[in-house]
Amino acid sequence: MSSTEAPERFEYLQSLVTEFQDTDSEEAKEQVLANLANFAYDPKNMEYLRELQVPDLFLDMLTEENQNFVEFGMGGLCNLSMDPECREVILQSGGISLVTNCLSNRREETVLSAVTTLMNLATPATRPQISEPGILQCMLRFSLAESPRLRNLAAVFLQDCCSEEQVRQAQQQTEGRQTAVGIPLPKE
Amino acid sequence: MHFLTNMAAPVNNRSDCWRVPEVYKHHEQQRVCISRPKYREGRKAKAVKVYTINLESRYLMVQGVPAIGVMTELIQLCALYGSVEEYRPLDEYPAEEFTEVYLVKFQKLTSARAAKRNMDEKSFYGGVLHVCYVPEYETVEDTRLKLQDRRSYIARAARSRAKQREKTEATQESLVLSEAPTSSDKISTSRDVTSRNEDTGEALSLSHYSEFPPLPLPPQEHCSFRQKSHRRLVPTEDKMGTLHNAFYNVEQQQVDSLSSNPTTSNREQGTESRLGPNPGSGVRFIPRITNLESRKRKVEESGEPAANVSGENEPLIGPKLPEAAKLDMEDESLNTTVGLIRSTMKQVGSVPDLKTAKKKAKPRRRI
Repeated sequence: MSSTEAPERFEYLQSLVTEFQDTDSEEAKEQVLANLANFAYDPKNMEYLRELQVPDLFLDMLTEENQNFVEFGMGGLCNLSMDPECREVILQSGGISLVTNCLSNRREETVLSAVTTLMNLATPATRPQISEPGILQCMLRFSLAESPRLRNLAAVFLQDCCSEEQVRQAQQQTEGRQTAVGIPLPKE
Repeated sequence: MHFLTNMAAPVNNRSDCWRVPEVYKHHEQQRVCISRPKYREGRKAKAVKVYTINLESRYLMVQGVPAIGVMTELIQLCALYGSVEEYRPLDEYPAEEFTEVYLVKFQKLTSARAAKRNMDEKSFYGGVLHVCYVPEYETVEDTRLKLQDRRSYIARAARSRAKQREKTEATQESLVLSEAPTSSDKISTSRDVTSRNEDTGEALSLSHYSEFPPLPLPPQEHCSFRQKSHRRLVPTEDKMGTLHNAFYNVEQQQVDSLSSNPTTSNREQGTESRLGPNPGSGVRFIPRITNLESRKRKVEESGEPAANVSGENEPLIGPKLPEAAKLDMEDESLNTTVGLIRSTMKQVGSVPDLKTAKKKAKPRRRI
């Protein structure tokens, strides 16, 4: 697709969104969703996707039964949330709680996207919400996971998104528990 | 052999931490999607997969390398896309018979991206390469830097888009208000719009690099102006993710704005007669820069107000020529690249020809 024709780009993205909304085929929906999520990786498209309300579309996917929808939607949000303006839109739509729920997803890609998205959503205003004990304990568990990617992301989260004191408190709370109550690690 | 020394070490101290690395699901090639409607069918059939920053990495794994001792050639090929920091064979990774697997760490993610795009599914010495990202080889610091780089790139892109938008809006306003818009305003608007849409890579100023070949710069001993000129070597990447030192010359910008002047037609002859060849160089080609500098000096000496030869704030007259690519021809890495290409060509050429290499001189009929 040529990069110089901006209106055609917008129209193409619009036709993807339209197909997603109109089609009954799950398979077609998955393909289009993946397309949109991949387009969200390129900063050139972020403004158009915002105008087409695609951040909200992605957020809607997080509560779907179809796990591909969840994974692709979460991936799209991971890509979009890097952009400051998209971040605002996601926050205004209650993104933090929706994304936090994805931390307990069984698919690793979904969880990785969720952790990264939460880091992207961390601003001075949202930091208290993002570094809640529940989330920190989850990250502590992730930092001991077998998956190197998950370990690394969790480590970066704990180092960058909260204070050492908060991490210590969360650690104490985890150790105090007898049973492994909490967010299970995802399976591959 | 070059070995990777700072791999992510397993956190647990179990005795089996030296086990065979897991064949992660995201390394496997997925089945290609065949049911896409025409309007969204790409040029190449692809699987349904979403790429996020977590799947990408400056660590690449190359599978399917024929086990015939071509590691050096493989790394040379990788180096065409950007600096390779480290590499090693992954003996412990399951490989098809008669093939090897390599881990290659690039200095930049954009280089790895370009290498993957260009090398995946390509044939190489009789085999087919399968190239994929291997972010599990990152250290925590690698991951953090990757995310930070990505965020600042997106933020930069957003800022420049906002600036372009403001510029376009401001210019459009002035176009609406003024009755006779100057040609330069129109030109700058259209350039803004195209450059906004064309730029994909991080080095926004190099958007024209892939379209126009660089002009050869004169050899070093020839031009004293180069020492005077204010320049900075900026390590940058072109769209291909190839790292090079871009020659960023403040005066160069002046020259480029002046290059729209059509009086440089017979520069070689003209300047030779004016300046004469520099002593001790024996090089005939006089650069345009010197020509314009000398003209500038002459104008300043004569005290004439110059419409063309002044500063950067003069309005452009006529279409603006694209800036010559800012490439430092003295950089050693270019010789390395040329050397690599030459040696590859030599190897290709070393396959015996069926025809004789030399053409026999045909007997010419003299009339």
